[in-house]
Amino acid sequence: MKLLELSEVSAAYGAVQALRGLDLVVGEGEIVTLLGANGAGKSTTLRSISGLLTPNAGEIRFAGQVISGLHPEKVVRLGIAHVPEGRRVFPGLSVRENIMLGASNRRIARAEMARDTAEMFALFPDIARFADTLGWMLSGGQQQMVALARGLMARPRLLLLDEPSLGLAPLIVQQVFRIIARIRETGTTVLLVEQNARIALSVADRGYVLETGRLVVSGKPDALWNNEEVRAAYLGGKRLSEEQKPA
Amino acid sequence: MAIILQLLFTGLGIGAVYALVALGFVLIYRATNVVNFAQGQFAMLGGYCMVITTVDLGLPYWLGILITLVVMAGFGAIFNLGVYYPLRHRSFLPVVISTIGASILITNLVLGLYGPEPTTLPGVIDFPGVSLGAVFLDSQYLVIIAVTLILVLLQYFFFEHTLVGKKMQAVSQDKEVASLLGINVTGMIMLTFAYSAVLGGIAGVLVAPILFVSVGLGAQIALKAFAASIIGGFGDVPGAIAGGLIIGVAETLGAFYISVPYKDAFAFILLFAFLLIRPQGIFGEKVSQKA
Repeated sequence: MKLLELSEVSAAYGAVQALRGLDLVVGEGEIVTLLGANGAGKSTTLRSISGLLTPNAGEIRFAGQVISGLHPEKVVRLGIAHVPEGRRVFPGLSVRENIMLGASNRRIARAEMARDTAEMFALFPDIARFADTLGWMLSGGQQQMVALARGLMARPRLLLLDEPSLGLAPLIVQQVFRIIARIRETGTTVLLVEQNARIALSVADRGYVLETGRLVVSGKPDALWNNEEVRAAYLGGKRLSEEQKPA
Repeated sequence: MAIILQLLFTGLGIGAVYALVALGFVLIYRATNVVNFAQGQFAMLGGYCMVITTVDLGLPYWLGILITLVVMAGFGAIFNLGVYYPLRHRSFLPVVISTIGASILITNLVLGLYGPEPTTLPGVIDFPGVSLGAVFLDSQYLVIIAVTLILVLLQYFFFEHTLVGKKMQAVSQDKEVASLLGINVTGMIMLTFAYSAVLGGIAGVLVAPILFVSVGLGAQIALKAFAASIIGGFGDVPGAIAGGLIIGVAETLGAFYISVPYKDAFAFILLFAFLLIRPQGIFGEKVSQKA
């Protein structure tokens, strides 16, 4: 079943056209990854879905409803949570407060919010002991955990993740991706933007490769990985040998 | 010794008024990254609102205060819609110019409606004050200090212990992410303007019995409150309070020991000194971290 569908979506920042007629489908329960070089339009796609950017052409449908042009506050109420690039944890709020505010899209009582926050600390035990620490004092990996937990607090049907591995040490990246795999097990659909194609394809069901705002190729991780042309151009070059292909 | 205590008391009283207006500056600055140059006019409007309700219409004082609070909150919301909201996606400068324009408009509207003659407002309590040894504690100054203290405590409780307070902090720290989480950013900014207008209005109500209520009241307080927020570290809440109190005490001491005609200059001498020696202000290094 199609949960999210983009048809011929174009978007621009001022005079700069960032997306040129993109078609994309995400099925319920899938992890789909968007790959491509810097400036390919990956983040722009997520920003158009969550309403931070209004597409200048095309249509975005979520669970059958047209959402293109809706304000972000409305989009998140429909069940799409966007964890933005760079984590963007509120620096002057504590970890607990950051996570609690993730539920702002749901009308729930304070007690339920506290209960859900406790649940997040169980899911991310590494940040539990920093519950009262201010956001700016955390390491990049801890901030990524907070950003993920904050996104999950919205109880989204679709989670948009923008570069969750950015600036993290390899061990932390693996930890973050184990959590992403676990998120899918809870029934949440994930649309993942990544520069690190190898690790993204290791958790994804399908992938799309973008170039200058257009779709170049899409398919299963294996097919994408074995496509020499794609690998050379967008997935980090030919130097990687067969043994390094994702599991 | 008694004279110094007397001056300190008076200085803290007037400083508390500067602190309230400075808080308004800081809260709006944190929410919108823009300095609202009409903040002083909020104080003037509060003063006039009291004069109209209690002196001209003869309503009881408590009712006048209640009406003033409601009028100021509404005025803050309208100010937000007319002065800030249409320009919210523009850069710093157009919005600042818009607030300067609004302050000129407000001043001249009041001038047109009420004329240039300063009026007076009686204090909240008839009773003149109490003597504590050689120090005379004027009742209006006591009221100012008490009300300011209560407001600061309420505000601390609101921002640190309520969900709406946390959402307002979130909006001031990252509007884009706040909207992604489903926080009503426009509503929170509206609330900030309404609250800042109420703070300014209360400052005007408190200071009106001490100074004359005139169209110049706004500029007179705002310049010192602005200096106070810079001395405290612009954008810092405890800094705005400390800065206001420091300026109040400094100008009172300066007027007594150095020169009465130059009373208004001491705030700016202090401001220059800070800009030269510690431009980030007293709490400057903490800017952008905590409301």
